[in-house]
Amino acid sequence: MEEDIDGDIEDIEALNYDDLDNVSKLQKSQRFTDIMQKVEAALQNGSDISNHGMVLEDDPEYQLIVDCNVLSVDIENEIVIIHNFIRDKYRLKFPELESLVHHPIDYARVVKKIGNEMDLTLVDLEGLLPSAIIMVVSVTASTTSGKPLPEDVLQKTIDACDRALALDAAKKKVLDFVESRMSYIAPNLSAIVGSAVAAKLMGTAGGLSALAKMPACNVQLLGAKKKNLAGFSTATSQFRVGYLEQTEIFQSTPPPLRMRACRLLAAKSTLAARVDSTRGDPSGTAGRSFREEIHKKIEKWQEPPPAKQPKPLPVPDSEPKKKRGGRRLRKMKERYAVTDMRKLANRMLFGVPEESSLGDGLGEGYGMLGQAGSGKLRVSVGQSKLAAKVAKRFKEKSYGSSGATSGLTSSLAFTPVQGIELSNPQAHAHQLGGGTQSTYFSETGTFSKIKKT
Amino acid sequence: MDEVLSSVAETIKNFAVIYLVDISEVPDFNTMYELYDPSTVMFFFRNKHIMIDLGTGNNNKINWALKDKQEFIDIVETVYRGARKGRGLVIAPKDYSTKYRY
Repeated sequence: MEEDIDGDIEDIEALNYDDLDNVSKLQKSQRFTDIMQKVEAALQNGSDISNHGMVLEDDPEYQLIVDCNVLSVDIENEIVIIHNFIRDKYRLKFPELESLVHHPIDYARVVKKIGNEMDLTLVDLEGLLPSAIIMVVSVTASTTSGKPLPEDVLQKTIDACDRALALDAAKKKVLDFVESRMSYIAPNLSAIVGSAVAAKLMGTAGGLSALAKMPACNVQLLGAKKKNLAGFSTATSQFRVGYLEQTEIFQSTPPPLRMRACRLLAAKSTLAARVDSTRGDPSGTAGRSFREEIHKKIEKWQEPPPAKQPKPLPVPDSEPKKKRGGRRLRKMKERYAVTDMRKLANRMLFGVPEESSLGDGLGEGYGMLGQAGSGKLRVSVGQSKLAAKVAKRFKEKSYGSSGATSGLTSSLAFTPVQGIELSNPQAHAHQLGGGTQSTYFSETGTFSKIKKT
Repeated sequence: MDEVLSSVAETIKNFAVIYLVDISEVPDFNTMYELYDPSTVMFFFRNKHIMIDLGTGNNNKINWALKDKQEFIDIVETVYRGARKGRGLVIAPKDYSTKYRY
């Protein structure tokens, strides 16, 4: 690829060059003219099917096809170089055009058509570009900051455009030739995607073995048009498909299934290309069986779902309800747990009559609630079990405060017998140690020490 | 009522089976169960007659034609649940005491 390297190096000094020939050498090269001559001759002769007997690599036609593939890649690179050249020259005249028209061949055609014209209403761009882009170009041209080019620069630019178009035509010829020979070179691949698309894929990849080495996701994207113009909506931009979009299989699938079909096509065509690159199946049967598989799969996707059978109800109460657990459920259950007030009201001291709501044993009994000696009339909202655990751990970290009680408790209790009673906050903590009361139901009680016998 | 029963039969086949009896052909139980209405539905679980409190006053049977399939399925399910627990009388999910007033 000497042309490429030279072209690259010279591109760096791009602003200094004046003549296209310094940059673009491919068209003048011997190799190019040789191959083009052979291609034209072969195109005129028609296909030769009689050389099936020969080993492929010795076949001069096969060699020509390999050369054609390499040449088509070279031509593409050359076109890019020429495009850069044209762009640099035309920038003085119409700088915004390069961001509006991306494709190098379209750009060359537009430049040739516009020439040195300042008023774009006199230029007819119909057929060269889509009408939306023509509109944008005309509008931008009316406000452009460019100035007309001098005559010699203009001439060079037009020459370069001609060169680019000639190269494009040459590439088309090469592709046509490869396509006509496609069923001989890569029968399996052309059985799946058709010879035109197969030729394009091979051309872009740079040869059959290069195509075979690519992963299927890359094959899917070969030839994909990228870059929407700035300001144009991306809602209409097609999904990522390349040359495969033109295959018959793709066109015949309904739009909702197209993405899946494209992936399937890319995968199978990569397999076929691999088979072809090793000449594993010269008759093309593998390709045809792949094609059958693809058709079958696409049909299966389009099948309607199986009809819904009415299901009989399950036996009631046969499946146990899924009980959930965890912290969230425990916290929710705490809201309905028995409160400390209710617990005190449920218990009674021995030998001490309880008070009741209607007095004299009538109405609801209050149990230990409000009894003298229990220390409290008002029972604060007790600590939940979780809070008790946390408080215990907090205490164990020995932060210094000993047995802090809730801030809502009042240390005053009014009792009917003794008047004001000051409650001893420590008494509650020591109720455990009394021994007269059972520790079985205590919330803050721990396990008693079990002595070894 | 027959259409309701036939359409429901497949759905509840896992826990209930429906038998259609022509009382003119099998008159043996007419006096025992007092079968005098045009349509009567009675529930039995393991050879025991299950009573349903429908609010109509007669707990032994449903002696009118139910129109709604889902209502009927609910009644059958309630009867099944209660009978499995050993209850002889279950309470129907819907009250039919006002069924003649629309």
